[in-house]
Amino acid sequence: MSEAAPATPLRERAGQALQDTFLQQALTIATTKFIGLRREAFGEFPEGEALRDQARAIKEATLQRLDHWIERLVDSIEARGGHVHYATSAEDARRIVLDIARRTGARMVVKSKSMATEEIHLNSALEAAGITPVETDLGEYIIQLAHERPSHIIAPAIHKTKGQVAELFERELKRPAEPDPEILTAIARAELRQKFLDADMGISGANFAVAETGTVVLVTNEGNGRMVTSLPRVHVALMGVEKVVPSMTDLAVFLSILAKSATGQKLSVYTSLVNGPRRGGEMEGPEEFHLVLLDNGRVRQIAGPLRESLSCLRCGACLNVCPVYRQIGGHAYGYTYPGPIGILLTAMLNGTESVKDLAHASSLCGACADACPVRIDIPRMLVELRKEVDEQRIAPWPERVVFGAFGWLLRRPALYRLSAPLGRLLQRPFVRAGAIRRLPLFFGQWTRTRDLPPVAARTFQERWADLEREARP
Amino acid sequence: MTTRAEFLTRIRTEMGRTRGLFQASPSPRPARPRERLELLRRELSERWPENLDRFTREFERVAGVLHRVREAREVPDVIARIAAERGMRSVVTWHGAALGVDVAGPLAARGLETSAAPDVEVAADERVRRRALAARADLGVTGVDLAIAETGTLVVVSGAGRPRSTSLLPPCHVAIFDRDALVASLLQAGLVLEAWHEGTPPATRGASINFITGPSRTADIELTLTRGVHGPKEVHAVFVEQGLPGVRRG
Repeated sequence: MSEAAPATPLRERAGQALQDTFLQQALTIATTKFIGLRREAFGEFPEGEALRDQARAIKEATLQRLDHWIERLVDSIEARGGHVHYATSAEDARRIVLDIARRTGARMVVKSKSMATEEIHLNSALEAAGITPVETDLGEYIIQLAHERPSHIIAPAIHKTKGQVAELFERELKRPAEPDPEILTAIARAELRQKFLDADMGISGANFAVAETGTVVLVTNEGNGRMVTSLPRVHVALMGVEKVVPSMTDLAVFLSILAKSATGQKLSVYTSLVNGPRRGGEMEGPEEFHLVLLDNGRVRQIAGPLRESLSCLRCGACLNVCPVYRQIGGHAYGYTYPGPIGILLTAMLNGTESVKDLAHASSLCGACADACPVRIDIPRMLVELRKEVDEQRIAPWPERVVFGAFGWLLRRPALYRLSAPLGRLLQRPFVRAGAIRRLPLFFGQWTRTRDLPPVAARTFQERWADLEREARP
Repeated sequence: MTTRAEFLTRIRTEMGRTRGLFQASPSPRPARPRERLELLRRELSERWPENLDRFTREFERVAGVLHRVREAREVPDVIARIAAERGMRSVVTWHGAALGVDVAGPLAARGLETSAAPDVEVAADERVRRRALAARADLGVTGVDLAIAETGTLVVVSGAGRPRSTSLLPPCHVAIFDRDALVASLLQAGLVLEAWHEGTPPATRGASINFITGPSRTADIELTLTRGVHGPKEVHAVFVEQGLPGVRRG
């Protein structure tokens, strides 16, 4: 178990999000924009559909020989003078990074955006060891100054207004700031430029690692990934084991679809291929290069029910189309990874117990599976998680009782037919203007934020029987 | 601490327990990428005007500015004009051999404060000095190892005489290229990358390969597109029609 459970229940977290009118507006604007841009990008790219299939096949093939490709990657990196470390748990990973920082005398660390470092809560570990981590992706920088966590995989600060950012900069940076994105960005550029030049160590994630060539690949729009991997004297990349791809040919396939899925760009501004430490004659580049391979629950899923989610590229497309994410945003999920894929990743990293509520935070509409560039069947796995939550008896008891009774009834057609007239009788005191607006006892949970449609005056079965009678000669 | 052997054993144990796999294979790789690349180059050499058009369209879509000149010796004029229009004074450039054209001399002669990267190993304190120079410079001039038409992307390979910071730290980046750098698609760029890595990779080049698609950008504050957050605010590409004979690529 690597992440602490949120302090408040999902219902409360979601409730707060639903009352936050700015958040509601920001989510609608952001997700709608991302959906449109993504659709446009693939619309202009007819070969995209075949490449999505190919990308999925590459992920699957790599997983089927993961030991081979990891060994190949390690050998290639070591042949270039890089170092590879193995972290089974989040704690292992933190200890490895801290050891490197201490040994090289690092006091200040610049970081480029990395969900893997968020997942292991690296920043608080660095701070506890007296090392200052500086997030350099603008969105991450904002939420670091605000002591918050990302609310979207690729747009971490979409929940903040420019006014809030200006106030934050004035308070934390002691600089006059105006609520204008252009001015705020210029302030961040000036602040962070000096940090890049002064930092002792750069920490990044990795979007991919190419086994054949020992290449760690970073995709960014701002250029902070290039700074972090080029300017400090030590570079540490932290990467989940599932990010390895066999060859440069494979990499080109993923690059063709990743940015289109994430932001609708044909390619992100910077795709950086990092091949180990500085070489002779180079003006910049780290003297030391380290790759930390992270398991943290992933390896167990090679043969587990969440195997498919090991193909995830972390593009965020499934968040943007999810009717639940679009309402409650990233923070309400309560863990590092939000959205439909986030529920699966949370279960992977923290165990099924951690998603006993979250497993239900989906309408199972299937939009996520359609949007996923590698066609991960997220709804299928969510249903399986619900089943597991039920079997492990960690679902709340009223839910288990109600669904148990419903299942029992469905298996008995004669009784089921009787249930309609019985329901019509029982609902009579509660129906107001064609809807049930309030139910007593714990059933009231259901009607707290929505109406329950009453049992119809004539059910489908009853109407069907009527029709058959009429059709008879 | 987990060792390589323990880590791999855990992976193999789980792989052994996996059931119901479907047939899947990675992308077929060219057996001799360099030969394949030669073939491709011959094809591309006939289609370069069409690839340049596509490149120009896509490059402009991502806010790049394309300039065309006939001969290499006109390049310094273009750079000097860009600098003059913006009141820029200082320039850092790649080494002349990596550019395929001498720009440092002519730019200095036009009164710009110019510094070209050496193409040999220099001492650590000299590297620090030069990095500080790049951090203060107004304009960085690089070559281009690959230009991808489909996406409007410039690819630069780091190495001796080709500092990474030249295309990163100054607020304005100018890249010089010719028809030989053009490929049509990202998938073709994949073949070029395979060819670069075939056999023994060069000892002094390729530690960092960067695909650059327009100026640095962010939309992290209320989704408002803002350029030049960490990298350059402007990216210019200068196309030399008659080519850059003798330029060292990849």
